[in-house]
Amino acid sequence: MERPAAGASYQRFPRVRIRELRDEYAKFELRDTDASMANALRRVMIAEVPTVAIDLVEIESNSSVLTDEFIAHRLGLIPLTSSAAMSAMRFSRDCDACDGDGSCEYCSIEFHLAARATDSGQTLEVTAMDLRSTDPKVCPVDQADAAGDSRGILIVKLRCGQELRLRAIARKGIGKDHAKWSPAATVTFMYEPDICINEELMETLTLEEKQSWVESSPTKVFDIDPVTQQVTVVDPEAYTYDDEVIKKAEAMGKPGLVEINAKEDSFVFTVETTGAITAYELIMNAITVLRQKLDAIRLQDDDGDLGELDAHLVGG
Amino acid sequence: MNAPDRYERFVVPEGTKKVSFEKDTKIMNAASFTIEREDHTIGNILRMQLHRDPNVLFAGYKLPHPLQYKIIVRIHTASQSSPTQAYTQAINDLDKELENLKQAFEDEKTRFERMKQGY
Repeated sequence: MERPAAGASYQRFPRVRIRELRDEYAKFELRDTDASMANALRRVMIAEVPTVAIDLVEIESNSSVLTDEFIAHRLGLIPLTSSAAMSAMRFSRDCDACDGDGSCEYCSIEFHLAARATDSGQTLEVTAMDLRSTDPKVCPVDQADAAGDSRGILIVKLRCGQELRLRAIARKGIGKDHAKWSPAATVTFMYEPDICINEELMETLTLEEKQSWVESSPTKVFDIDPVTQQVTVVDPEAYTYDDEVIKKAEAMGKPGLVEINAKEDSFVFTVETTGAITAYELIMNAITVLRQKLDAIRLQDDDGDLGELDAHLVGG
Repeated sequence: MNAPDRYERFVVPEGTKKVSFEKDTKIMNAASFTIEREDHTIGNILRMQLHRDPNVLFAGYKLPHPLQYKIIVRIHTASQSSPTQAYTQAINDLDKELENLKQAFEDEKTRFERMKQGY
């Protein structure tokens, strides 16, 4: 077999089309690449894009019904605005400017919370709104929300006389370490389906048969044109690869009525974030992180006598 | 008490190399690359990219054990190429693809926002 010389490039040029883009939500099409790349991006978005989350809690006083560790865990899960996490901040394990006590400007942000219920009539709800940050860039996402109609995430409810006072330190981390650092609420992709109706065979069906076939799909993928009475594909992406219409066609004695294949190089992504970073930032950061990972696995010059070895291998 | 630190899953321990490489003793142009602290994210894109290279006769990866945080990539090439060359080329191609994708996203965002404003 004729083989090309080594060193040729087999790079792909993916195409993107954004369908929807809001602060915390994005839907886009990704084409001309394969499932491994789509899945790598999904995995990186979920587990390897850094954010900031509360990691260390020092409880000064807690007379609430929840235990200290319960509250510490709840604090950790509160999404904090994390635009600074990607490049401006350091991981505290890599930070040489501090000893991890939380007073370091490069790797940690201190929070304070003090609440005491004094009204005997009703319980006091302590929420993320009560957290006081020492850095205006990093705060609970509800506080940063310009609309300001949110009541904040509930941490604990206090009865009259109960008190909660604490100091918390937020750090940079990734979802692989603990899910509280994951910026992703959901990241999914689906293969775009390629639906091909056999028109000739379809015309052998009566209107009632067409109707019952169209209705056999659990999601609304097909419809009947009221004028021409032809079956049309209204929403290919509603198809969930359930094979119901194919089974129905077989049951009707019309196998091959429709052919549905997944396009192997086209994907529809849905990205939702917790609000820690925007969906667009999440996508861009995921690409950057994946490139950094690839860069880290390059062979170094000191990995044995590679040059010599290569020459030997090629010659052999 | 004696639980290992969580970061051991993704931080390469001191004194360990990120990538090490072992040539097959019996087959020409075959080698195994051990990549520390990586998983399917890297393993699968690398494997699929290697499959695009016609000089690569075999490329596969395995995660030997879920608690050993490393992957092993095995590459077997034709005599025109070598495993290290194919490996480096695959990384270069993936990196360029992602660079391209980033640019595509930036351009698409500009286009999308213009369209929304009704230009």
